[in-house]
Amino acid sequence: MSCHVVNEHAAARPKVLGLRAHPLRVALVGQPNVGKSVLFGRLTGRYATVSNYPGTTVAVTTGRALIGAEVCDVIDTPGVNALDGTISEDERITRDVLAGAQTDLVVQVADARNLRRTLMLTSQIAQFRKPTILALNMVDEAWARGIAVDAAALEAELAMPVIEIVAVEGRGLPELRDAFVRAAVPTVPPQLDAHQRAAWAHELTGRVRHISKLSLARIPEALARAARRPLTGLPILAVVLYALYLFVGVFGAQTLVKLLEEGVFGRGINPAAMWLADQFIPVPWVRDFFVGEYGLITMGVTYAIAIVLPVVATFFLMFGFLEDSGYIPRLAIFCDRIFRVMGLNGKAVLPMVLGLGCDTMATMTTRILGTPKERLIAILLLALGIPCSAQLATILGILGGISFAALATLFGVVLGQMFVVGWLAARVLKGERSEFILELPPIRWPRFGNLLTKTRLRVWWYLGEAVPLFLVGTALLFVLDRVGALTVISAAGRPIVTGLLGLPSATAQVLVMGFLRRDYGAAGLFHLARSGQLTGVQAVVALTVMTLFVPCVANFLMMIRERGLKTGFAILGVITPVAILTGAGLNYVLRTFGVQF
Amino acid sequence: MSSVRLAFSSNGACPLSSMAEGARGVIVEVHTHDEGRADRLLSLGVTPGASVTMLQTFPGVVFLCDQTELAVERRVANTILVRLQETRP
Repeated sequence: MSCHVVNEHAAARPKVLGLRAHPLRVALVGQPNVGKSVLFGRLTGRYATVSNYPGTTVAVTTGRALIGAEVCDVIDTPGVNALDGTISEDERITRDVLAGAQTDLVVQVADARNLRRTLMLTSQIAQFRKPTILALNMVDEAWARGIAVDAAALEAELAMPVIEIVAVEGRGLPELRDAFVRAAVPTVPPQLDAHQRAAWAHELTGRVRHISKLSLARIPEALARAARRPLTGLPILAVVLYALYLFVGVFGAQTLVKLLEEGVFGRGINPAAMWLADQFIPVPWVRDFFVGEYGLITMGVTYAIAIVLPVVATFFLMFGFLEDSGYIPRLAIFCDRIFRVMGLNGKAVLPMVLGLGCDTMATMTTRILGTPKERLIAILLLALGIPCSAQLATILGILGGISFAALATLFGVVLGQMFVVGWLAARVLKGERSEFILELPPIRWPRFGNLLTKTRLRVWWYLGEAVPLFLVGTALLFVLDRVGALTVISAAGRPIVTGLLGLPSATAQVLVMGFLRRDYGAAGLFHLARSGQLTGVQAVVALTVMTLFVPCVANFLMMIRERGLKTGFAILGVITPVAILTGAGLNYVLRTFGVQF
Repeated sequence: MSSVRLAFSSNGACPLSSMAEGARGVIVEVHTHDEGRADRLLSLGVTPGASVTMLQTFPGVVFLCDQTELAVERRVANTILVRLQETRP
């Protein structure tokens, strides 16, 4: 089938526009954090997770766009710094997209301020011999910093379209769309080695870029400086943590939870469900299955929506803010030295902070770390010591009501344990840690719309993951309770729970259920504490064990998915004794010294 | 300027890690046998000829390389050799 379109552009570059059986496949390629995902959203009307930290566009996102009269499939690829030499998992994905025969056209998205690096990448993209357009993004920020790029001169040098855009505002997009018909393989010197490529980019940049002393971006720059210096950075960190506590710990975990749990569920949904059940379900155990003590609605849905959701949602909103503002990479500078003791480097701060929202999601994000050893240590420490948002809510809810000393004891013990286990793991495990080399993106005020969409996507992910497991967990609990297995489990765990840990025997069942869903177990403890079944010391011990304890099933499955079955069980085998022995030791010390909280 | 890497001798060059805050210079050589490190630095624009400004030396080394702000640990900063520029008043 040969359909020749009579069009001078199409005739000159027959691969680009013309009639074809499948939509034109367009790959967006560029360095991390240059606005690929925003441009993707602009072109397709869809949203891809926008993020300031390398490694967060984990998979390739595809969306459909109409450009001119052409239907296009736009592919948003993970950010890349290089396409040959030593490359990361993400970079390999992008290289495969570029090399694929189905990719018809490439749009290289670039930060207008970093022309040298942009051109180094251009020369690598050119090797794939695909028609390409260079979109110089964020020209407004470049201008504000006194950087001007002569796009016309660059276009002449490279013999490919060079379009200046501001993707977040949609400026330059009509010009970009119009340029699709002109896309061409960039003219770069052939067969360059890495050093010649750098020298070529350096020389070309010198000819087309002009830097003046003018800088209009004083406030963000001052903030960026303050955030990375110890003298100002530590107070800023304290303010950030306090804001996190106020927003997630107080507003989310207390105000919103109270509103939902006591108001919406306590007065609305649960009484209504019970009334309906009384009317329509004559069999008592079926009724109990839905609205009893371990009922799907009265326990499962209530915990998932009323207690966990507000905390997760407020946390993800705050995390998105920190991520988009460019703060987290600066935090990594402070953490680098401490993390190095544990065989990690400062980059691990991202999964660690994300773990405070959801350890399962964070386990997946450990992919950004450089070596298998680092990934393993990070996954181990996440499972061991980082409390997820539901646990944090429980910890703050129970211990916050007891005393500050109780809180400090728990966090001290957990952090100490992470440090010791990390230190040991760094020495015992084979392999290397990677070096800390991190780009610091500019400090920006996050776009509110992006923030909301991003939070919504993450909350959806969480709900899809959590609610079914909550319901399964509740159903299992109900069954175990009915057949009398709960009593058996509690009896079996009693020597450890009541003897070693000094806890009431009802805690045994909560700890066991905690494995099904860590936050679910946390919520169970919350229930015990509220009904006055725990003393101060017992609460501290139980929560410490719970925090250190075996991660939830979802997290466990994610570990296996990321690192294999053997490693998954090995981590489980390390954490369980560590959690129980730490709890026993803490119980012994607190009781011996007669500590009261 | 196209053979920038060869044009400068290593004489008079000092490691990036020894630069004081605010000092400026031009990268002469990235001296490493670790290919992975060399490739990563290269892809971030840390190449001979690039101008650098030291921004901070503690707790990590932070420097501006061309228009990119980078944070590295000391071990890495030791391997980047820089020819210092006279600081103008």
